[in-house]
Amino acid sequence: MGIDDIPLFSNLRGRLGWLAERQRVVAQNVANADTPGYAARDLARPSDFAEALNGARGVELMRTSATHIPASTGTPSRFVVEATPDSETTPDGNSVVVEEQMLRMAESRMEYDAAIGFYQKSLNLLRMAARKPNG
Amino acid sequence: MSDPIAPRNSAMAVAASALRAQQSRMRIIAENIANAESTAPVDGADPYRRQVPVFQTREINGATGVELARVREDQGDFRLDYEPGHPAADAEGYVRRPNVDTLIEAMDMREAQRAYEANLNVIETARAMEQRTLDLIKR
Repeated sequence: MGIDDIPLFSNLRGRLGWLAERQRVVAQNVANADTPGYAARDLARPSDFAEALNGARGVELMRTSATHIPASTGTPSRFVVEATPDSETTPDGNSVVVEEQMLRMAESRMEYDAAIGFYQKSLNLLRMAARKPNG
Repeated sequence: MSDPIAPRNSAMAVAASALRAQQSRMRIIAENIANAESTAPVDGADPYRRQVPVFQTREINGATGVELARVREDQGDFRLDYEPGHPAADAEGYVRRPNVDTLIEAMDMREAQRAYEANLNVIETARAMEQRTLDLIKR
């Protein structure tokens, strides 16, 4: 039994993955804040984080030579990126408002910190349970 | 992975591409301001024309980064100043000056600066989040 078989952990892991992925999407938006025709995007919030991560791509082995045995490759991320224009669209078709993106980034970061804290506390719980009594 | 120094973290790679793009934009603004009064080098030629940077998206590590696509010329009219004594004046005494408005350039510069700072912020946040994850190993 792996640590991910505990529902709490697999859920937290899914949430962490989602938040990190969202951070990447926000980074894209901020980077393209001056690109004509760029529409702001966001990650759809899944109802079940653990399940969403199950199909997400993890670390993959790269084949640098044809003689390598192919490893099973992960399926593409199941987190859904959707177009979510901000409150303003400039005449050149750009719908990124940097302030709103910064807010979204701060929000993601806080949630990430919370999830990591939760993960840590849960690990400590497990550790406490595994310790011998009066040890 | 075409760029060898691109950070592994794709959020950072994207923000880094934006830093580079804003940096080039800053360079073009500097050129515009520096040449705000540059008249034609030879008789009858056009004076300096304002340059406008155009950005476009670029794929980086599977994420959408940004790059400076091209630099276009502002097609606006040149300024006409009546200065008969000026060496570059035409037969009627008018001097054609570049179509650069330093006020607009100053605004553009502010915008580039703010965009640069926003991207630095993204890098800092990505770094902090990764640090937080690495801290899990400590205990």
